[in-house]
Parts: sequence; structure tokens; C-alpha cells
Amino acid sequence: MTIAYDMLKDKINVESNTRFLIAVRDFVSRMIRASKIHREDENKVILAVDEAVSNIIEHAYEFKEDGSIEIEVEANEKEFRVFIRDSGKSFDPDSLPDININENVKRGKKRGLGIFLMRKIMDEVRYNFRDSITNELLLVKYIK
Amino acid sequence: MPKFQISKEKLTDGIILLTVKGFLDAHTYEELEKVLDELFDANSYKIVVDLSGLDYISSAGAGVFIGAIGTIQENDGNIILLKPSPNVREVFDLLGLSQIFTFADTKESALNILK
Repeated sequence: MTIAYDMLKDKINVESNTRFLIAVRDFVSRMIRASKIHREDENKVILAVDEAVSNIIEHAYEFKEDGSIEIEVEANEKEFRVFIRDSGKSFDPDSLPDININENVKRGKKRGLGIFLMRKIMDEVRYNFRDSITNELLLVKYIK
Repeated sequence: MPKFQISKEKLTDGIILLTVKGFLDAHTYEELEKVLDELFDANSYKIVVDLSGLDYISSAGAGVFIGAIGTIQENDGNIILLKPSPNVREVFDLLGLSQIFTFADTKESALNILK
């Protein structure tokens, strides 16, 4: 028997300021708890979204606070999907190699950790650059 | 509760105990960085950081420790991470930092490592 499970869907918009990271994490936490994602993945998925939004604030908006970031969650019984959209400078993290943490520590280098975490935590990390206006990052966690 | 709190205490043998609470993320990490820089300016390189009250850490927070450990080791010091919560420890594990940093379950064991 297949049990129907409605699509869970909601979104928030925040200004491009790191003080709103708490609101982003609270939103993702609420959506995770309403979804069928495993509780043991909660901290990791929140972290991946936090890293993505932090990167947008730093790289796409370069810490200018007049930018907007939309975080939209869609979840069904198989996937927890997070769309993160901004209108800042396009940035293609796919061009960055994976980090070597020992080398980072040796050099005191902190860059690239967020993208490394996103790739490690999520099952899919995809970038779309639409009409040169909106950047869209899609993070997907499979619900097994 | 404030987003991030940090307090500093001098222990024996020049060891400094930092107690951090709340959220260590891209918004708050500079507060910890500033305190560590002040310790380095005062030639303090034996540091215990009590993480038991830290609810959350992101890569920006972990990056503070990555930035500090080189300076600490160059000056014959060490930084001991005390009692991180499972969520905080998980981030160190994900980044591959658990093999690089020293963790302790009690203040006494942290002090013994530094003496």
C-alpha cells in the first residue's frame, strides 16, 4: 500500500546580512522537523544551508546589506530540497577543487570549507544561473 | 540568550580557559578571533576552549581554530577543545579536523595535556 504524502513547501526571504543566519537556521530546522528526513541529518542539513547563505553574503553580495536571499524548501517522502536564490554576483564554486584539510591547517587557510561541507553533506549540489539576474543553488538530501 | 558569549579565565601555569556559548557562525566568529589575537599579543599559547555551552558551529567558527593552531604550535603551545556537544563535534569530524585538534572530556585532563 502506498501512503500519500503531501509535498511540504515553504520559503523565507532574508537580507544579505549574517545576523539573519539564525533565522535561516530556524526556518530550515522547522522544515526538517515537519519532514520525513532523519533527525540525525538535521544538524548537517542546517549547516549546509548556513554555509550556502554565508557564501552568498560574502561572495555574491560582498557583504553589502541591500541584497535579498530567498530560501525555499520542498520536501516529499524521498527528497528534502532547498533552493537558495540571490541576485548578486554569479559565483561558480564548481571551479574550486576539493580542499586538503591538512594543507588548510598548515597554511591557516579557512577558505573553501563551506563548499566542501555542502558537497560532503548533501546528495546533490547544483547551480543554475538564470538570465544573468538570479543565481539559484539547489541542495538535495535524499530521505532513505 | 545572546547569540554568542565568550569569557576568559586565567588558570595555573599560564593556561587560559576560554568558555564560549551560543552560536559560532559567520556572524560571530570575529569575536573569538579577536580574543585569540589578544592572547597571542600577550604571549599566551596554552589555551583550553570549553565548548560545552556552544550550541552550533559553522565552518566560519571552525576556521578560527584552523587560523589559530599554526601560531599556537609555532610558539610551543596547544589548544585543547573541551567537551564539544555532539553537533559541534560532528562539524569537526566532517571537516577532518578531529585528527588535528586535541579534545578533552574534563578540565583536569585538558590541563594535564597542557602541563
